[in-house]
Amino acid sequence: MNIRSLALIIGAVMAAVLLAPGAIAADLTDVGYIDQADLANMPVFVSANRQLTGYKAQLDAQFNNAIKHARTDADRQRVSMVFQQQFSDKQREIIGPLFQRAQLAIAAVSTSRNLTVVVDKRIVIYGGQDITKDVEALFTSPQAISPPAASPPPSEIGFVDQTVLDGLPKVKSANDTMSTFAAAQREVYSAKIAQARSNTEKQQIFAEYNKTLTDKQDQLLKPLVDETKSATARVARRKSLMLVVDRADVIYGGTDITTDVQNELGK
Amino acid sequence: MSSANSRPPALRIWTSLVIACAGAVALSGCGVNVHSASVRGTGYVRMDEAIKHHPLYAQLSQLTDAIAAIDLQAAMPQVPLSGAQIAQQTAVLNRELRDAQVRANKILAQKQQDYTRREQQAVAAALAAAGVKGAGTLAAQQMSSQSAQQMQQAASAANSDFMAYQQSVIAQDNAASSSVAKQLEAQATQQYRAKAMQLQQNETDLSLRLTQQDAQQRLAIKMRLSNLAMDETSRKQAQAQLAALDAKEASALNAQRKTDAATLQAYQAQLRNQTGNAIRSQVGAIQAQTQAKIAEHRNQVGAQLRNLGPPALPTNLPPGLQARIQQIHSQFVAQFQADALKTVNDYNATKADLSRQFAALHGADVGATGAAGKELNDLQHRRDALYAQMVGQVQRDAARLAKEQGFSIVFVNVEAATGGYDMTGQVIKDLESQHE
Repeated sequence: MNIRSLALIIGAVMAAVLLAPGAIAADLTDVGYIDQADLANMPVFVSANRQLTGYKAQLDAQFNNAIKHARTDADRQRVSMVFQQQFSDKQREIIGPLFQRAQLAIAAVSTSRNLTVVVDKRIVIYGGQDITKDVEALFTSPQAISPPAASPPPSEIGFVDQTVLDGLPKVKSANDTMSTFAAAQREVYSAKIAQARSNTEKQQIFAEYNKTLTDKQDQLLKPLVDETKSATARVARRKSLMLVVDRADVIYGGTDITTDVQNELGK
Repeated sequence: MSSANSRPPALRIWTSLVIACAGAVALSGCGVNVHSASVRGTGYVRMDEAIKHHPLYAQLSQLTDAIAAIDLQAAMPQVPLSGAQIAQQTAVLNRELRDAQVRANKILAQKQQDYTRREQQAVAAALAAAGVKGAGTLAAQQMSSQSAQQMQQAASAANSDFMAYQQSVIAQDNAASSSVAKQLEAQATQQYRAKAMQLQQNETDLSLRLTQQDAQQRLAIKMRLSNLAMDETSRKQAQAQLAALDAKEASALNAQRKTDAATLQAYQAQLRNQTGNAIRSQVGAIQAQTQAKIAEHRNQVGAQLRNLGPPALPTNLPPGLQARIQQIHSQFVAQFQADALKTVNDYNATKADLSRQFAALHGADVGATGAAGKELNDLQHRRDALYAQMVGQVQRDAARLAKEQGFSIVFVNVEAATGGYDMTGQVIKDLESQHE
């Protein structure tokens, strides 16, 4: 075999390895994203937010006056709850209809583009389908938007509600313990820093403070974080999901595995 | 290139093949099959990890630590007050001090009148009992003398109080002067630090800009250098080009650093000058106020002393009666003294309390003023901007790599992944190669 033939064979093998995959599968193309900041800057949302801010300023003045007359903690709590409720009601009244229309527009555009999930633009670095402009166009059009005939098709992108997982007793207990510990250390080290005579001494104290907190975090929280990640991955594998993201980043569709992860962690 | 052309044809084919394969490997992301069943054109980047390897991470950590350190220092129980608030509260304390003084003087005067009246009655009763005619007039005469003695006691108390007041005001003056100097110096240090940080930020931006400008060229040279079959002359040329790029960047950065150092030095001199003038002016004003306060108080005491007339004691009374009147007088003087002392003590306690508040107000650390809050905001703002800059670069690099390698979509910060391709390692390598 001459050297030219050998070179060609090697080239062919390398090309086969690099360019001809063993198992070719269709790329993930049913993922859309929206720039929520852009959506929030639409005049109708800006105007609604301005209206709500004005209402809040008015409510704050009333609240400050009412809280002055509250004598006990229970009174103060009751006053706070009443005003919070009033604000929530107003928020629902002003923003609610706009939010519903935006949701319908997102669902309609997603259906027309065969998307299984729509996420926030912040978590997509490259690729995906940007549906922001389409959604905005549909939202601002005079036509009524009908709800989609069916729920979105199953997606290979899953999501977990981190706030729910944070509420699990063992996670909450660890977080509370950490907060108490951090508050106590803060008091101890702030007193030390106040007595420090030089910047070098202050830096040493600060480094010690940081280390104390990091060590405690590693001891208390890291095992739980690792456990949650493993549980999420196990559920994702069982459900044939490719990736799992945080609930806060999902706008439409996706596969919710929060309960499964909760159950997995409870095992 | 002449040396490459002089090689035998078989070797040329080999060389071309190796270059082609190396290029293919580089472009295909070190062999990742982006369209395989497990990847399916999907990538993801762990942003937190990538950020940790960013060349500006050390700066980000410094800012984070500085924020946490200020936050920790601010955790001490302090009342954050601005300069205007301190001045306002000082005025309130001074007013309270003056009010306390006026109140004490009024009480003393009232007591003095009261004791005079009661002593007069007691003396009149004693004189009447002794059968002295015109007992009321004599008693009044006696009382003017006794009243004068009581006034003398009051004046003496006022005098000693004046001494204490003078010492206290001077101590307050010293504390206020020292606090003003400390605050102005801290302010200057903060301004200097802000300027230094701004210049440092400019240098960082320049460094990043230069690196980004040359990134493509640097990458191309590095790819050429990774060609194993490159002849020595070409390799040296490429290395020289790389070194020239480094030198160009270093030279631009050094020039900027020199300019910044000179700017900083001039700014420091200017600040020192301004601070010195401001300290002299403010301390002068405080001392003038102190002198005015002392003079005012001294005038009040002087007026009290001037009002005291010399006692005119009657001499024609029987010795027994004189002794009785003297006894009555001593008794009332003792009672008045005890009563007056209580008032003076109350006043002194109020004054001491106000002095403590004054000292706490003026002796407060700079952290208790709005300066710490402002510095914290500035640092937070700078940290956010730097973080956004770093995230932006990671995203741009990841997007470029994704495009080169044919990914369909790339996510960031996923909670878990059972498929897709983790591009974090590649992004980190890319970041590091740009800043080597």
